Amino acid sequence: MGNPIIDLLTSTYFLEIAVFPGLLSIAILGALLGWLERKLTARVQLRVGPLYASPAGGILQMFADIIKLLFKELTIPDGADRFFFIMSPVTALIIGAALLGLIPFAPGIQIANIEVGLPVFLAIVTLSPTIVLLAGWSANSKFPFIGGLRALFQQTAYEIPLWLSTLGVVIVTGSLSLTGIIDYQRNNGWLIIPQLLGAFLFIVTSTAEMERLPFDLPEAESEIMMGWQAEYPGPLFMLVQGPAFVKLYAFSALFTTIYLGGYLGPVPIPPIVWFFLKTILIIALIMLFRSTFPRVRLDQLLRQGWTTLLTLSIANIIIAYFLVVGIPAI
Amino acid sequence: MVAQGIPEETGYILFLFAATILLVVVVRMVISPRDPRPTPEKRAPFESGQISAGPGRTRFIIQYYPYILMFVVYDVIAMFLFAWALNLRALGATGTVPVLIFMVVALPPLAYALHLANQRENW
Repeated sequence: MGNPIIDLLTSTYFLEIAVFPGLLSIAILGALLGWLERKLTARVQLRVGPLYASPAGGILQMFADIIKLLFKELTIPDGADRFFFIMSPVTALIIGAALLGLIPFAPGIQIANIEVGLPVFLAIVTLSPTIVLLAGWSANSKFPFIGGLRALFQQTAYEIPLWLSTLGVVIVTGSLSLTGIIDYQRNNGWLIIPQLLGAFLFIVTSTAEMERLPFDLPEAESEIMMGWQAEYPGPLFMLVQGPAFVKLYAFSALFTTIYLGGYLGPVPIPPIVWFFLKTILIIALIMLFRSTFPRVRLDQLLRQGWTTLLTLSIANIIIAYFLVVGIPAI
Repeated sequence: MVAQGIPEETGYILFLFAATILLVVVVRMVISPRDPRPTPEKRAPFESGQISAGPGRTRFIIQYYPYILMFVVYDVIAMFLFAWALNLRALGATGTVPVLIFMVVALPPLAYALHLANQRENW
């Protein structure tokens, strides 16, 4: 029927990828989250924050910043590996955006409904410290290199607790698919109640995964000058900053899906509104960490990650086990 | 729409990849200003305002290396638990015995490795 290009452009699959929940909505929400973070941090510090970029409290500030950054010159430092220097932020952004293809935003609104959604999400995320190391190494500069190595070491501290904290959800629901986890919560209530410890561990380890304060060691702007991002010029800096907000959005969406019942909620409000209400609540919580906690040291993070977080996540598995099998009568 | 045998997600990821690279290339070609003759200072790596000296790729932070070795081993071990967790309802309490043995074998070496990794005098 008709022109194949028009058929492709109006197909549901293409629209899901390009508009919602795909690229366009990710870009717009990423920019709005940047504004939210600046405004929230400013309010905590009794400042005003972005104000002039629109009548509604500077909400267009990040769009203005994006336009400004696009018109800057691309300067690549001497001795840098140009291919990896440019490809690392591009790949990081794709990793962030690919995560959102797995999230069920509402019944039927999901790009890839696969059986193993939860492990695939975590597996894609596992790639990102490698990209950070590659970016830091390729810049041929000292601060990026230190930042890249810190990302590598930091990964060893949080990665195993992150996987094990979601293992509790898998034990209780008996499903690896994100839709399956939501179906379980439809009948049995939100998982945050039986899995409170798991939810706490997940939010701590995912904050470390997102490299946000108090775990922003790879980019620590006050000690190693934005770390692995130090050498990136204008447009590439935009591509480097983007994944941070996209990952924040993706992780909050995953937290909402596996612990807060996803799009489930009382009827009069549509599911997608419930989903975004919960997600924005979690995003604001993670943003408030930034204004609340001081940065940890690398050796503190490694030690706590391998002792406290690992022990707590094993305890969480044991709790989930007894929830499913029942406490044996001895 | 997508060829047989290739998952639909492949198309999504390829599309993202092409779109982002295209953005960089177009920006570079069209709107980004160009400096035909950058000075050596401009292209020098950033070093807090100092004149940069020496190679950028300096020495590794080696003191946390034991944690990486532990990570390589125990990250893989943690994955095995997912196969058990998924089938826990079907296996019941009796299916847990092998996993329990597995954990008993895996955790004491972890504790010992952690004990060694935490000793600062060995760094």
